[in-house]
Amino acid sequence: MPGPRLIDDYLAALSADLPGRIVEELADGLDETYHRHLGQSHDPDAAARAAVAEFGEPRVIVAAFTAASRGRKTARRLLAAGPVVGLCWAGVLVSARAWTWPVPVLARALFAVALITVIGLLAAAVLGRHYRLVCRAAAAACVGTALLDTTMACTVLVIAPALLWPVALAVVLSAGRSGFALRNVHHALTG
Amino acid sequence: MRAEELKGHLDTLLLAALEDGPRHGYAVMDALRQSTAGRLDLPTGTIYPALHRLEAAGLIAGSWLVVAGRRRRVYQLTAAGEGALSGKRADWRDFAAMMSAALEGAPCPDPA
Repeated sequence: MPGPRLIDDYLAALSADLPGRIVEELADGLDETYHRHLGQSHDPDAAARAAVAEFGEPRVIVAAFTAASRGRKTARRLLAAGPVVGLCWAGVLVSARAWTWPVPVLARALFAVALITVIGLLAAAVLGRHYRLVCRAAAAACVGTALLDTTMACTVLVIAPALLWPVALAVVLSAGRSGFALRNVHHALTG
Repeated sequence: MRAEELKGHLDTLLLAALEDGPRHGYAVMDALRQSTAGRLDLPTGTIYPALHRLEAAGLIAGSWLVVAGRRRRVYQLTAAGEGALSGKRADWRDFAAMMSAALEGAPCPDPA
């Protein structure tokens, strides 16, 4: 959008955090605001200052978009579901004395690291202030959650298929969570 | 009225601003300014994330139009949005009647 330097700088500040389609929409509104003020003052610089002031600080707008992003919403739901699904699997593992299973230590360690990483990504998506970071963290956490659920379900079904009801409950919950996570990867990524 | 005082009501105001037909973000803000005689003191930029939130909730639908060679995002109420606005309007009438009765001694209508 052609216009005074102040407007360009303002849009550049928004572009640093927000995706192009959102900045394009904001630029359209800012252009309308600028021209309304220009029609009143006939001073391009004064109109640009008034338009920018009326629009609000870029960090406030970015924070509002970040808070409203689908990535954050998805991450909140996954975090809320985590303890429920986790307790179900914990019950299964304790009942089956999982510490006696022939699973290599390295595989156990990798699973633990992956679990901590996914929790960290979800926390970043819920608490992060940068729009792109929140969206990417949420999308990565969605994929990670589905992989962890699948790994856990396959491992338990292969090693301890006898625990019928507890495993069935945990598998159903995990499948539901994985489905939700995978359905929302794209939404989380695009905000 | 400042943004902090509008918390919880902004979504209703936005839905009401779209009741007369599709509008883009700036036109929504302009409609709110006119309907409140300019008393709404809200950064225009914060309207847009609220519109995106309402769109994600399925209460409004956004689409891109090309106006004078430039793309413009326009929003309109969905059926769910019309229902939500109707419900919020009824809730507001009840709330306003209750507050008027409590603060000004106005007669409080019986709950339906």
